[in-house]
Amino acid sequence: MNKKLLFSFVFLLALVFRVAAQDRTITGKVTSSEDGSALPGVSVGVKGSTKGTVTASDGSYKINASSSSTLVFSFVGFKKTEVPAGSKSIVNVSLVSEISDLEEVVVVGYGGGQARRTLTGSQASVKGSDIANIPVQTFDRALQGRAAGVQISGSNGVPGGQVQVRVRGVGSIKGGNDPLYVVDGVQLNTSSNSAFASTNPLSYLNPNDIENIEILKDAASAAIYGAAAANGVVLVTTKKGKAGKTNISLDYNTGYVEPTKYLDVLNTQEWIQLRREALFNQTGNEATARSGALTGVRLSGTLTDAEIAALPTYDWQKEAYQSGTTNNYNFSMNGGNEKTTFYLSGAYNQSDANVRNVDYKGGNFSAKINNKVSSRLNVDAAINLSSFIQRGTFGGPNGGSFLGSPSFSSPLILPMNRIYNDDGSYFGTPAEGGLAGILNQNVLMVSDLNKINSRTNQVISSLGLTFKIIEGLSFRPYASLDYRTINGYNFQDPRTADAFNVKGRISAQQFELINFLTNATFMYDKAIKTDHKISALAGVEYRQNTQENYQTTAEGIPTPQFTTQSSAANPISIFSSWTGFKKAGVFTRFSYDFKNKYFLGLTARYDGSSRFGAENQYGFFPGVSAGWDISGEDFLKNNPSISQLKLRASYGTLGNDQIGNFDSRGLYGGGANYNGLSGISPASLSNASLRWEKNTTTNFALDYGFFNSRVQGSIEYFVRTSSDLLLDQPVPQTSGFGTISNNLGGMQNKGLEFSIKTTNIDKGGFRWTTDFNITKIDNKITTLYDTLTTLPGRTVDEQIKIGHPLNSIYVAEYAGVNPATGRAMWYDNAGNIIYRIAGNVDSYSKIIGSQIPNLYGGFTNDFSYKGFDLNVLFTYEYGRTAYNNQSAFMFENGGRAFNTLRSVYESRWTTPGQITSTPRPFNNNTEVLGSSITTNLGSRVYEDASYIRLKTISLGYNIPKTALSKFGLASARVYLQAYNLYTWTKWSGFDAEWTNLGSGNSGIVPQPRVVTAGVRLGF
Amino acid sequence: MKLKNIFKPLALGLVLTASSCSDLLDVQPRQSIDSATALTSEDAIRAAVNGVYDVLQSTFLYGRDLIAIPEALADNGRATNKSGRLVAEYQNQATNAHFQIWERAYNAINQLNLILEALPKATAVPVATRDSFEGQASMLRALLYFELARCYGYEPKVVVTQSDRGTVPLHKKGVLDLAQIERLPRATIAETYDFIYSDLTNAVAKLSTVTLSTAYANKGAANALFSRVALYRGDYENAIKYANAALASGIGKFQTKDAYVGAWRVANHPESMFEIVYQTNENIGVNLSLQTTYTTLVQLGNTATTGGFGDLVPTAALLATFEPGDVRRNLYERGTAGRGTAEIECTKFFGRNGVVNLDNIPVIRISEMYLNRAEAYALSGKETEALADVNTIRTRAGLEAKTGLTGQALINEIANQRRIELAFEGHRFFDLKRRGQDIIKDAPAQNLAYTDFRILSFIPNREIQANSNLKQNVGY
Repeated sequence: MNKKLLFSFVFLLALVFRVAAQDRTITGKVTSSEDGSALPGVSVGVKGSTKGTVTASDGSYKINASSSSTLVFSFVGFKKTEVPAGSKSIVNVSLVSEISDLEEVVVVGYGGGQARRTLTGSQASVKGSDIANIPVQTFDRALQGRAAGVQISGSNGVPGGQVQVRVRGVGSIKGGNDPLYVVDGVQLNTSSNSAFASTNPLSYLNPNDIENIEILKDAASAAIYGAAAANGVVLVTTKKGKAGKTNISLDYNTGYVEPTKYLDVLNTQEWIQLRREALFNQTGNEATARSGALTGVRLSGTLTDAEIAALPTYDWQKEAYQSGTTNNYNFSMNGGNEKTTFYLSGAYNQSDANVRNVDYKGGNFSAKINNKVSSRLNVDAAINLSSFIQRGTFGGPNGGSFLGSPSFSSPLILPMNRIYNDDGSYFGTPAEGGLAGILNQNVLMVSDLNKINSRTNQVISSLGLTFKIIEGLSFRPYASLDYRTINGYNFQDPRTADAFNVKGRISAQQFELINFLTNATFMYDKAIKTDHKISALAGVEYRQNTQENYQTTAEGIPTPQFTTQSSAANPISIFSSWTGFKKAGVFTRFSYDFKNKYFLGLTARYDGSSRFGAENQYGFFPGVSAGWDISGEDFLKNNPSISQLKLRASYGTLGNDQIGNFDSRGLYGGGANYNGLSGISPASLSNASLRWEKNTTTNFALDYGFFNSRVQGSIEYFVRTSSDLLLDQPVPQTSGFGTISNNLGGMQNKGLEFSIKTTNIDKGGFRWTTDFNITKIDNKITTLYDTLTTLPGRTVDEQIKIGHPLNSIYVAEYAGVNPATGRAMWYDNAGNIIYRIAGNVDSYSKIIGSQIPNLYGGFTNDFSYKGFDLNVLFTYEYGRTAYNNQSAFMFENGGRAFNTLRSVYESRWTTPGQITSTPRPFNNNTEVLGSSITTNLGSRVYEDASYIRLKTISLGYNIPKTALSKFGLASARVYLQAYNLYTWTKWSGFDAEWTNLGSGNSGIVPQPRVVTAGVRLGF
Repeated sequence: MKLKNIFKPLALGLVLTASSCSDLLDVQPRQSIDSATALTSEDAIRAAVNGVYDVLQSTFLYGRDLIAIPEALADNGRATNKSGRLVAEYQNQATNAHFQIWERAYNAINQLNLILEALPKATAVPVATRDSFEGQASMLRALLYFELARCYGYEPKVVVTQSDRGTVPLHKKGVLDLAQIERLPRATIAETYDFIYSDLTNAVAKLSTVTLSTAYANKGAANALFSRVALYRGDYENAIKYANAALASGIGKFQTKDAYVGAWRVANHPESMFEIVYQTNENIGVNLSLQTTYTTLVQLGNTATTGGFGDLVPTAALLATFEPGDVRRNLYERGTAGRGTAEIECTKFFGRNGVVNLDNIPVIRISEMYLNRAEAYALSGKETEALADVNTIRTRAGLEAKTGLTGQALINEIANQRRIELAFEGHRFFDLKRRGQDIIKDAPAQNLAYTDFRILSFIPNREIQANSNLKQNVGY
């Protein structure tokens, strides 16, 4: 096994021949096998002696050795390589990077690094190079499937849109569940505040600038972030300048964006037939059913069969869902000398969505500089300027009624409606009375004429000083600013339905965020003899966050050409709000490593926040962890097949402070105006004892590496217990209030994470590695308040019941169709068939699933051969059930004037005795003394949202250096990327991957398929 | 725990050096104020009173439901299923097809309780101003408890004993924190009417005869409301007494025949004694406004342009009740075919404020006083006076005066005139209910017996869960 691994430097041996054993000077250069770059700082030794040296900044070395001796080259991150000295006086070595990540140094909270081998907390890592050039705007999306225990779902397919990240499940009901993002020490505010677009503030960061990402998952690693850390912490380290020659890199890729799916809906003739049946089944009168089906959609009631057969069908989806382009430009340069290093980068990205009139354009510029002022003082400063503009969706989660949304309505609009008149103008304007059918808006006109956009400008900057007090002890004051403005604009054209009556409506948003942070830390590192290593850190921190939001609306413009509010006749609303919070904390970390075998970590933070009630403003968050590397023990030390076998355990408490800034206060709010005069009304009940949510995490893990790390990975078991959950405790509405914010509930997430990475083939220059991870999480509610077993006031698909997962779906199970009558049936809890869902909800409802998936992960295969590389990533999610709002409409089966899925049409009940699950068509969907066939109280409209997706394929080729030198290039790479290439799912809507931002999946822009080709040049 | 003790001074010591101690974590909201001290100035109390009217604008209250649902539940309105709204109410379905005023009504009642508690302490406010606030608050509390009582309970004279669980809990104290929340049982019908009487008595006493605007609770409206409440209670003496006071108040101008239709086309209905007013920016919009609920038209006589949904249209039975020549029939005309079959639609709410879907909504119109009084007279044996009042309504509508009507025929004529006069204004269901009458519907809708449980609305389930003293109505 081991021998096989050593082949990679065999070619060197061909150059070597034996001479007499005699010391002489050997020189050479050590380079990286990956890109041929020089490796400075590589230890070069002679086996069996104490002789040794390190390579210089150009990778060169000089050492005395006899020709019978063996040279040993070792360097962090590269395979230890032995080369017989032989008789040559020049021995050049190309080091192969280490398959194992064990020796790699990982970033931990508040800076400092720690060798992965010594980690005792639970921490997942993703390298920047793994996610570079994936055609997404934000790095969080690119993390999907790459880290065990981290579930990532695109909220929708809007480029630069929101993403939901859940580290080890959902721990809060009312509070936020998003992790804390810390980029180079800047604690970001990642709340999305755009009124008119789905906006992800992480768009400011160019994924290609990322060096690596660490996700802190357990209390032991995250407790240092205290009350902000309950949902995990994502630590991002960006690329920095390196001393030496200035490296310039240019990267360009371009491609297309296209819909992944069109829904198969009925043509005009089929729909008329269906509608006739629906009316006939209600009235029993064929003549009126036939004429009613026709006149209901403004056709003549006396059309003959031949005339009906001749009616045209128009495909609205093909107009609404369109292909687009994406273009991505990247530039970066870095370099410097021993005193000063710098890194500059710039990027511009343009990306269309797969739905008409939705796109993204944005760019950023980033500069980082590091200067050694003296041997004791080091200064680092960074600034990132970014700006992006998104054209938003009409009828998306943020902006307008979903009925006017092309993504929602285009499959539902009746197919006999034409789209354009013969002269190219829009058919069915509101002035002409709209389209036939309930969805009577020409959604393409709505989409084209309305202008919705949102521009986000961000400045993220930081300044830090590192002062070395004595060897091993340093002091670092640091400050950062996260500044963001959003300018939103929503123009509703007076020719479109929503603004027709008011003659145009213009809304605007101005938003400003100021998120300031400062801290100061002492860091201490000490090795006592060789067996004991101590590292300690202590610090204080203060953070202040304010945000202001203005939204204005005016109505009544003279003509559509007037597009500013000043032209409007009626100012309708002026909304302004100010909110803010302050936090202060002290924190410490201590880690101890004995003989590289036994590890101990202690972390604690004392944290206060203005969000909490006066009686509970501060809290204490400790974490403790320990590890034992069994492979370091004598009985395993020399076992060649075991490279690591480390047991870890940790325990600690974290806080979740993601609640409203003023939830603890009893307030009277304004805005209750009447008759043109201002009014006030009570807004909230006071609760002075309100405090953070508590998350207690217990973690047990085994890190393993076998066969020289050809097989390695981890198994982790965790129990995350959330208590004191912030809940809107319902109070009797007779009090004048609906709820009070209170710490009441409890929840538990128990999970198992398994990851494995194997090198399957590494021979003859061909290498194949596989990376697989899977996470199983069982979520359940453990306590509520009083004697409640169900939290009242929740919708049927977001039930909170003790002993069941959060957001369980509690409805009557669909029993299919009565073969004799074609009527929809459900089961009550006694197992009886019922036709009408009514009465006590517990008499018929049972839990049919939860909106939280309980299994997810990713599967990656990497292949490389002589400059070619291929990466294939599958992601999957299993166990999520959700209400399919889009399909609920499309399951109506001719009950109202909407189009229907062909699969529903073809399976509908038509004949007594027929066994099917689709009821007979019936006008208005509700049979006499029955329930609507699309009622959300029955399981018919809930679907399994599990999926497996071929998420990315990327194929690249690094052009050999020999071919490049005459062009003055240091490196060149061409590549192809495909994103969301194929999906396996039972979901009947456009896309199973979405998150509920308030209106289900109606009007959501589904994820696109993106294919790009690009080239990267290094100078 | 011990560690905690070490950390606190550390925190204070290290962090506070840069910032003053007291405001380290101090952040005050800017668009809200502390509720404990909110209602201490005249301006604040005035704004708080205004805030109650804001609640009344809700579509769950006068914005739509209290006006349109009584027509759908009873025999005046037929749901067209053009948007699907009000179909369940029209069919008298047993789930979620009734008034849902509970939350908004109690929200406003708590605001009123807080105002009524704050007033005696606000000694800096002039007495006349305080009386005005107190009178308004008392009348509005009476109005809201009356709405709650008639939605959730029976009227005193026509109780279905086996289903009588009282009206609603009578909360009289303001709530600002958890400890103040009471979990009361439902009051009896008699307790409720007694409490409404006491509030109305106080309102009539405190409100000044000088009225600023019918947009606010006023003395004339308080008398008018008292007349209505007394009629519901079967207290005919007071129904007559307060109808007289209301008619004499000078609030609300009884319109002539010629002005009748035009009165529905101006922003403030001249007959209004109390109406909920809406500003341009408070337009309820194309889904739920009364205009969109009742008609597809945006311009009278123009069936080419479709605006609203026209979800609720007059039943054949209602249209048949009109006698030829009745000026009130001019408020009904054929709508557009833009959302399905063109129907005869009610145009009482037609963007009176100058913008489509924007209508001020009369809560009490002076015509009702003649009808209240006519009914009270007829039921207390004064048939001559009763006939005179009903003829006032008839002749104003362009119909000839009736003569010689007595007994049930007279009572029927009063009921018919009331049905026509107040159609689509939120009276019909309650008028049938307070008389204990069954609802007769056009097929295919089914009749609803007065004894059916669906006559009463359902209390929100969460309320039953949150308050063990509260009993749900029978059947739900």
